[in-house]
Amino acid sequence: MSLAAEAFVTQIAAAEPWPGNAALYQPLKEEQILLSDNAACLAVQAFLQMCSLPVQLVHRANAEYMSPSGKVPFIHVGNQVVSELGPIVQFVKAKGHSLSDGLDEVQKAEMKAYMELVNNKLLTAELYLQWCDDATVQEITHPRYGSPYPWPLNHILAYQKQWEVRRKMKAIGWGCKSFDQVLEDVDQCCQALSQRLGTQLYFFNKKPTELDALVFGHLFTILTTQLISDELSEKVKSYSNLISFCRRIEQHYFEGRAKDATFRLSLIS
Amino acid sequence: MAAPMELYCWASGWGLPTVDPDCLTVLTYARFTGAPLKVHKITNPWRSPSGTLPALRTKDEGILSDTHQIITHLRKQKFNADYDLSARQGADTLAFVSLLQKKLLPVLIHTFWGDAKNYVEHTRKWYAEAIPFPLNFFLPSRMQKQQLERLQVVCGENYLDSEEELEKELYREACECLTLLSQRLGRQKFFFGDSPASLDAFVFSHLAPLLKAKLPNGKLQHHLKSLQNLCNYCTAILSLYFPWDEGDPPPVVPKAAAGDGSESEEEPYKRRNQILSVLVGLAAMVGYAFLSGIISVQRQAPSQLRPRAITLEEEEEEEEE
Repeated sequence: MSLAAEAFVTQIAAAEPWPGNAALYQPLKEEQILLSDNAACLAVQAFLQMCSLPVQLVHRANAEYMSPSGKVPFIHVGNQVVSELGPIVQFVKAKGHSLSDGLDEVQKAEMKAYMELVNNKLLTAELYLQWCDDATVQEITHPRYGSPYPWPLNHILAYQKQWEVRRKMKAIGWGCKSFDQVLEDVDQCCQALSQRLGTQLYFFNKKPTELDALVFGHLFTILTTQLISDELSEKVKSYSNLISFCRRIEQHYFEGRAKDATFRLSLIS
Repeated sequence: MAAPMELYCWASGWGLPTVDPDCLTVLTYARFTGAPLKVHKITNPWRSPSGTLPALRTKDEGILSDTHQIITHLRKQKFNADYDLSARQGADTLAFVSLLQKKLLPVLIHTFWGDAKNYVEHTRKWYAEAIPFPLNFFLPSRMQKQQLERLQVVCGENYLDSEEELEKELYREACECLTLLSQRLGRQKFFFGDSPASLDAFVFSHLAPLLKAKLPNGKLQHHLKSLQNLCNYCTAILSLYFPWDEGDPPPVVPKAAAGDGSESEEEPYKRRNQILSVLVGLAAMVGYAFLSGIISVQRQAPSQLRPRAITLEEEEEEEEE
């Protein structure tokens, strides 16, 4: 989201309270959504739940094209549309809801750093798996990504997206990585998160922050999504405190809300 | 160790031991750990064994050219700057390195390669003077193209649509990142207490170029200079770990405000270029003479034949005219 628009939004946002009809748009859950998008959507949902802001979930096949930044999810609140976790956090903050106000400056710096770590390693690994691992691309990514579109378009759009992601991977030096190296990175990241979490309830002790929402979104998605191989989720499963962390957030913020198949962490263990 | 590892990196300039942030990371890490490296500071990337800089020639793993790979390799060789850190500090290192890569690196690229004024007056100037003769005409612009591509892909596709807005956004994030680092550092000497770790190598190598380079357009520089503890931190590392690199700059280094100072600096290159151009001219003339047959060499050794050869030449010359 651009700076000017952001400043504008922030200004207006402060004036109005959170409306009852706020909506969160995301791709179709059953047949379309991909691993990385699901993680991002879940992170935003968890964040809004933690702020106890009510939001209605709307599934749209073209959510990606409706979003102002081209990325899902986005929220529609009053007259404004805001996409992705970072801007949404700022937007919500402007409305007077913040999870990280209680932290001191050093903790805020650490929180930002860990959020970048998750984006840098977990998100990139998810993208790598779904767009660069040939078996996954053929069996899962292409059929799912193209599912809402008629015949020639589904292939064209999927290849276009694949080309775009691969170019990005090359630019950040992941283009020539093997899947094992990616798993290594994921393991490293999980280890760091696990170390940091230790025996605390949340990353910064008793109260959840946006970091907790982000980590939950990614780990929960990795743990509960059926892929052709379960190597990725196996890596996460070896850290027991991360699993109980996911379970804790699920119970606390999602219990009773969704009896969805995806919202069941009891599958693992 | 019998054969020390060899590190190839960019030459020193701008008051830094090496001008490239990636090379600086590796070099700083090596200094922190005291790894015995034979450092080749070169100005021609084509002379590096991998074609890119930095590059580390190792005995058992061949040539490494990725910063992280090099550091991992040094770590395996028992040169580990993070040995004393707790697991949680190790986790913090990983997190802050991600933060640097995401927030500060794009701006660093943009400041040195993307900003037109800085690129022309500062970055290209240095590289064009440092890189040896024929390569200096195209290598700097090729490097710029690579860097901008990297920036564009990292920032997303809408880079070209709204360059100005994106620039603002980038700088805002970088300022925020600098402030975060300053807060995290606080009054400590290094990020994790009194001894430097790998995180310090990363932070230092991303900050020092911004601090030391005399950029014509230094938006971010002003912000960095207002964070006193980060400035002191960089200066301390420079004077502690690179005492001689700063004091004894090679002739190309001082890039001061241009003008009379730089005139004398360019003198040796002028003379060399003059000699080169005279040689090239001579070679062209002789070559032409040979090809068009004005001069011909005859291999007949006996001395009595010589007068004939000369007369032949004269005849041909007349024909030409």
